[in-house]
Amino acid sequence: MSLRGSMFFHLLRRGLLGRGNRPLIAFIALTVAATMITAMLNLYYGLENKLNRDFRSYGANVTIAAPQGTALPEGAVENAQQILPSGSLVVPFAFAIAHANDGSAVVVAGTDFSKLQKLDKWWLVWKWPTEKNEAIVGMKAEPHISSSDGSFDLNFSGRILHLIEATTLKTGSEEENRIYIPQSTFEAWTGVHPSLLEISVPGSREQINAAIGQLQSAFPAMQVRPVRQLLEAQGAVITRMRSVMLASTLLITLTVALCVFSTLTSSVLERRRDFAIMKAIGSSQTTVNGLFAGEAFVLALLAGLLGYLLGSGLAAWISEANFHTAVAPRIAVLPVVIGCSIAVALFAALLPLAQLQRIEPAGILKGE
Amino acid sequence: MLGVAVATAMIAVGVDVGDKINRELRSYGANIVVYPEDAALDVRIGDQQIKPVSGGAHLKESDLPKIKGIFWGHNILAFTPILETQTEVNRHDVRVVGMYFAKQLHFGTESFVAGAEKLYSWWKIDGSWPRDDSDEVLLGSRMAGQLGKRIGDEIQLADSSARITGIVSTGGAEDNEIVAPLSIAQKIAGEPNAVDKLYVSALTKPEDAFARRDPARMNAADHDRWYCSPYANSIAFQLQEAFPGSRAEQIRQAAQNEGAVLSHISGMMLLIALAALIAAALAVSAAMATTILERRREVGLMKSLGATATAIASLFVTEASLLAIVAGLIGFGLGSVIAQRIGRTIFHSGVEITPVLLPIVIFLALLVTIGGSAAAIRRALRLDPVVVLRGDA
Repeated sequence: MSLRGSMFFHLLRRGLLGRGNRPLIAFIALTVAATMITAMLNLYYGLENKLNRDFRSYGANVTIAAPQGTALPEGAVENAQQILPSGSLVVPFAFAIAHANDGSAVVVAGTDFSKLQKLDKWWLVWKWPTEKNEAIVGMKAEPHISSSDGSFDLNFSGRILHLIEATTLKTGSEEENRIYIPQSTFEAWTGVHPSLLEISVPGSREQINAAIGQLQSAFPAMQVRPVRQLLEAQGAVITRMRSVMLASTLLITLTVALCVFSTLTSSVLERRRDFAIMKAIGSSQTTVNGLFAGEAFVLALLAGLLGYLLGSGLAAWISEANFHTAVAPRIAVLPVVIGCSIAVALFAALLPLAQLQRIEPAGILKGE
Repeated sequence: MLGVAVATAMIAVGVDVGDKINRELRSYGANIVVYPEDAALDVRIGDQQIKPVSGGAHLKESDLPKIKGIFWGHNILAFTPILETQTEVNRHDVRVVGMYFAKQLHFGTESFVAGAEKLYSWWKIDGSWPRDDSDEVLLGSRMAGQLGKRIGDEIQLADSSARITGIVSTGGAEDNEIVAPLSIAQKIAGEPNAVDKLYVSALTKPEDAFARRDPARMNAADHDRWYCSPYANSIAFQLQEAFPGSRAEQIRQAAQNEGAVLSHISGMMLLIALAALIAAALAVSAAMATTILERRREVGLMKSLGATATAIASLFVTEASLLAIVAGLIGFGLGSVIAQRIGRTIFHSGVEITPVLLPIVIFLALLVTIGGSAAAIRRALRLDPVVVLRGDA
């Protein structure tokens, strides 16, 4: 038995290493297949995160508003921040109506610029205010403040606030009608507390909906609302992309698997003489099958491992080139890839053997 | 052949997916707004209108069909006019927003449908959309709670009554409003033919460095190029030209962020297509190498009969080329079908296959097949015919 055992491994080694570049071709084909499967699976899982992150750049996806004429409870910002997953942004807004120099009414908003800056990165401003009396002036509000040197006054029920225009704001929607000033300045001037929180919650639509539920139970008297337009768009795009990725993964996997299959099959068929000789000198069907299967198994295992490494690299590179952050390789993909490549290799090796079994060794050796 | 099919399908889907997602995103609200040049400053906090919008300038409803006459008229996917006004219901102040729902408009010989059903397809409506120019309205969900009204109830608006066909929930200001056909809002406001704003959803090209340049400072050639590119701000500029006394602005939140999502998606699909192409190429080369190695005996025979290496090589290359062309053609057909299937099942619309792809695909197939066989042919030629024919190699 030990002699037969060592012979088996000797033959296995010869089969893998001693036949010129034939096993190399099969190995390359298998590695390519494993690489593609790994890359596609990694991207498939990574894509959703990346797209969710892209959608966060639109700004708030949840708002909490106090009922008309009231303010949010004390400490609402900290409270919300605590409930929400880390990485969430909570930006408070307080509103008041003031009068500009020309007598027209204008909405003034007090907010936290350091946070707003992160929430609405897309706002077209020259510079974000840093000083206490600096203001962002909406495009449409600008003609009404009639400032020549960049400074202007606002009047809130008789109290005058002197401000310096840090930048104009162009958004194309209602923000352009307003003037934004720092929250502390606003509260000292008007005594009005925040009545609106704009919140950006990271994650998928399901995670955001869960956060909305938690916020609603934490602030029962407030109106917690999703920015539905954004959430629906996010959901739709991600569902679509998931399907596209799934279809491409299947398609690519299937093709490379077929190519590998045909390469391996022909490489086994080519060795029908070996097969015939072994049978002629008395080895059993199981031993021969075991030998060929063992070869395929070792080849597939190595190719699967190498393919996993290469594929993770490929996925990381694609995502780096495209999203400027790499996807982390997923260890869960490894067994899938190795399993797939072993399955394909074994199937491709044993199918032709089943055919050869029915032929007499003598016929093969005669060269038929 | 399969390799070619998959490569074709991937490239076709990859090229088209950006456009498909663009359309998808464009069904979630407007990206351009048009308003009168001297519109009054909007004094509004959240849902509350502090100062009722009154007087001021308006756009003309009768001008609206002209929107399709602009250079990029075909890129206008949806639009609706908006007129906001205020009235009293059961001694509550109620805001009424007038708009189109699915209004049939005509421009020249062309007829098209405009309105909120397409622009705001994501609105959650309990009940059904009202008809245009009728006395049917939608009630905002919170307004419905306040007024205690339900679907099918009559509601008294100014001096006529309207029927509620649905309760709308949008998460926005509409929840506190009555959404009515434009004609009703105009009647309440006493301003026939008036429109406050026009929300437009246009298919645009993501903003790039060129789009960010100031059109006023471009030279004539650049200005023409800018004008003829479907950027959000060039379409806005054309809308401004179409409606005298108006200003058109891109809604930056949509325009700017969409660009990122779109370029990421199409960039990734293209990279995947490229990777698929390379993988297919490698797999095909492996297959070609196997076939040629199998025919060593043939090579040996030809050589011993006096064929030159060039003659044998050209024979193999011609064979491989014919194979590649045939496989390329079949693969292209098959790939187009696969791409169509993907488009139909996922986006409910076919994927456009450009004929330009055919020569590219065939060229690639040739390249891959010949490249893949080259090494194997060289090896086969190097072998000594005697050894090969005896069957020792």
